[in-house]
Amino acid sequence: MKQICKVISFSLISLMLSFSLANASSGVFKLSHDLGFGKDTNLDAITKGRLFQVVIMTQNRLVRKNLKGKVTASLATKWSANSEANEWTFNLRKGIKFHDGSDFDAEDVKYSLMRVKDPDIGSPAKKSMSSVTDIEVIDSHTVKMKLNTSFADFPLLLTDYRLRMIPSGSGDTIGQTGIGTGPFKVATFDPEGTTVLKANPDYWEGAPGVAEVHVIAIPDGEARVQALLTGQIDMNRYVPFSQKKIFDGNKKFNVSVVPTGNWRGMVMRTDTAPFDDPKVRKAVRLAVDRQELVDLVMGGAATVSCDTPVAPSDQYRLKMKCPQDIKKAKKLLNEAGYPDGFDMVIHVSTKEPTWPTIGEVLQQQLAKAGIKAEVKMTPSKSYWKETWMKKPVAMTRWNERPADSILHEAYHSGAKWNESFFKNAAFDKNLSDARGELNFSKRKKAYQNAQKTLWEESGTMIPYHVSKLVITSSRVKNLDDVEVFSVRWHKLKVTD
Amino acid sequence: MTLVIKQEKPKSTFSKIVEIISTMASRPSGLIGLIILVFHVTLAITSPLYAPHDYKAIDPSLMLQAPSSEYWFGTDSLGRDVFTRTILGGRTALTVTFFGSLIALLWGGALGIFCGLVGGKIDDVVMRIIDAFLSIPWILAMLLIVSLLGTSTIVLIPALGFFYGKGIVRVARAATHDVIAKDFIVSARARGHGNFSIIWNEILPNVRDAIMVEGAMRWSWMLLGFSSLSFLGFGVSPPTPDWGLMISNARGLMSFAYWAVLAPIFGLSSLIIGINLTADAFAKALGIDRSTKAPV
Repeated sequence: MKQICKVISFSLISLMLSFSLANASSGVFKLSHDLGFGKDTNLDAITKGRLFQVVIMTQNRLVRKNLKGKVTASLATKWSANSEANEWTFNLRKGIKFHDGSDFDAEDVKYSLMRVKDPDIGSPAKKSMSSVTDIEVIDSHTVKMKLNTSFADFPLLLTDYRLRMIPSGSGDTIGQTGIGTGPFKVATFDPEGTTVLKANPDYWEGAPGVAEVHVIAIPDGEARVQALLTGQIDMNRYVPFSQKKIFDGNKKFNVSVVPTGNWRGMVMRTDTAPFDDPKVRKAVRLAVDRQELVDLVMGGAATVSCDTPVAPSDQYRLKMKCPQDIKKAKKLLNEAGYPDGFDMVIHVSTKEPTWPTIGEVLQQQLAKAGIKAEVKMTPSKSYWKETWMKKPVAMTRWNERPADSILHEAYHSGAKWNESFFKNAAFDKNLSDARGELNFSKRKKAYQNAQKTLWEESGTMIPYHVSKLVITSSRVKNLDDVEVFSVRWHKLKVTD
Repeated sequence: MTLVIKQEKPKSTFSKIVEIISTMASRPSGLIGLIILVFHVTLAITSPLYAPHDYKAIDPSLMLQAPSSEYWFGTDSLGRDVFTRTILGGRTALTVTFFGSLIALLWGGALGIFCGLVGGKIDDVVMRIIDAFLSIPWILAMLLIVSLLGTSTIVLIPALGFFYGKGIVRVARAATHDVIAKDFIVSARARGHGNFSIIWNEILPNVRDAIMVEGAMRWSWMLLGFSSLSFLGFGVSPPTPDWGLMISNARGLMSFAYWAVLAPIFGLSSLIIGINLTADAFAKALGIDRSTKAPV
């Protein structure tokens, strides 16, 4: 009997030991950054020189997007709005400590978010906080945010990757310390060399899978690809699709294609003939074979868009099909008074490497509807100043934004960057209705109606949302297949 | 005994050309240069007659196919036949640069001879202006012109002609200085001939060879310059096939689709080598030693 007891207790102890060993952080995960901000590089997420590769691992937001793109809890556990959706109450997670040992509470939230509005800092994230007029500390773990407008999707704005929680009063030192509540702590910060992060064993979602993260400065894109090939780094999220074939079929690497909300498009100025006629714009839209563009320009790594700028993963995205329809395009051109088509010049530049190719493919596609397009190269350095929003037809590109932001920023009649000079009262009304609507399905309908208007009348032809090529060394496990700001870094593991 | 002096018949222009060409072809390098040049010119003129595929037909199902019996040089990233685009790719470049060189020769030669002949303050002023222009990087100036005026051939030919003519002004001026002190010019002046007559009858026949050789050399430089513009996207507008543009589009794919970039590189470099060898042989056939008269 004694023997049996001994065996059982021995097995139990070894089982527990193996469990604890399995849960311990181990290995080093190495990635790179491009040192894009030189000496201004720092760890203060809201400044221009923020080294986001580090802050996304060391600091948390109140809310974040889950793997399906929906707003989910992070340091805030619950949130609710008043009936006008202009006051938002957030309940904070309790028992959370910063890397320096101090407690995380409502004062930290107020401090972290209000400093984004500080004109002295001049934060690029200011826009996300522009509607917030005040943050009231209700108790140690509850805050109330007051807005100057109704905004039913306000929590979405707080998923901005820069709105990270830092200890109250740490603004002067945060750029060097990077202290937060995240899964990794900054051990050494060397923006021009290697920044070393160590696992935070007390992380509130559980101890990270890797013991150390090395963030190495490699300014040159080609050198970063070489660094990945030679094993100097474990992940590269900026490999151009043209180089995908180098990694395809190589067992040392995992190649994954992550859809994003970043898009490319061709802008027709709606205030300039012949594009001031919605029928002409619709005809151009119908003459485009979007899938062919995806295949030819992106090697299939993009999601077709029917001229909606809303990301494929966004809950408000209007899902529809828009195959090439030359017959209908010709009919519309006929109705618009261009039975023999017309001539147009598509302005491109190498600012975005795919623009000239998109132009070249569009040229062939539009020719089928009788539209003779010339592709004209313009200097890339002055593109945003001299070509974009100046020439009647020019290429554009935008990065992912929440539906409300992109619809406002690129199409609202009063928007600064309304690149097609699009003015549509019904569209504007749908946007303002959506902002004030707390009922999700009604809100969704308003946003989708706005997108329907874009398909019928907008001046921007958006063929696709690009996907991102993410290449990791095969020793990396459990990396979430999503955009970099939604990755759950504590889940990551490396094998040796 | 009667002494019979036979006067040699003056040679016809045709027989002179034949003699020059046969002298050029008598050297291996000259022969190779001539063959390459003739091949390219013939190709540029006749290629549309036998191009096997449509140079602008895009097809996603044919992207980056390796060379095969159907597509001899493979296909590019838009599924177009690289062979077709390569044999058609020199047409625009050759046409633009040939006429560009002619313009360069005409204005550069005329201004150079005029300055060499009149000398004095006019010569000084003109040469300082030429010096100032020579100090401007041509690619920047060209980019400025094409971004202001566009990339049509009507713009490119005179613009290239202007930029590449500056060097010819100096060569023509130096060649004129060589002959200006000779007795026949002095006697022409004594006979009361005007400047124009002296240039046309006395100077031009003596400096023509030097200017033409310089023009031929400028042609190859201009070809490289034009292809650089196309490489940057400012030369030929798509979908017109052009070597510079083809190299630019395919350079990122070099590690796995070398065919799309090798064919236009071969086309461009062989034509430049061909023109250079021909120009060199031309100079030697005319008895001009380019090694001692380095062009400016």
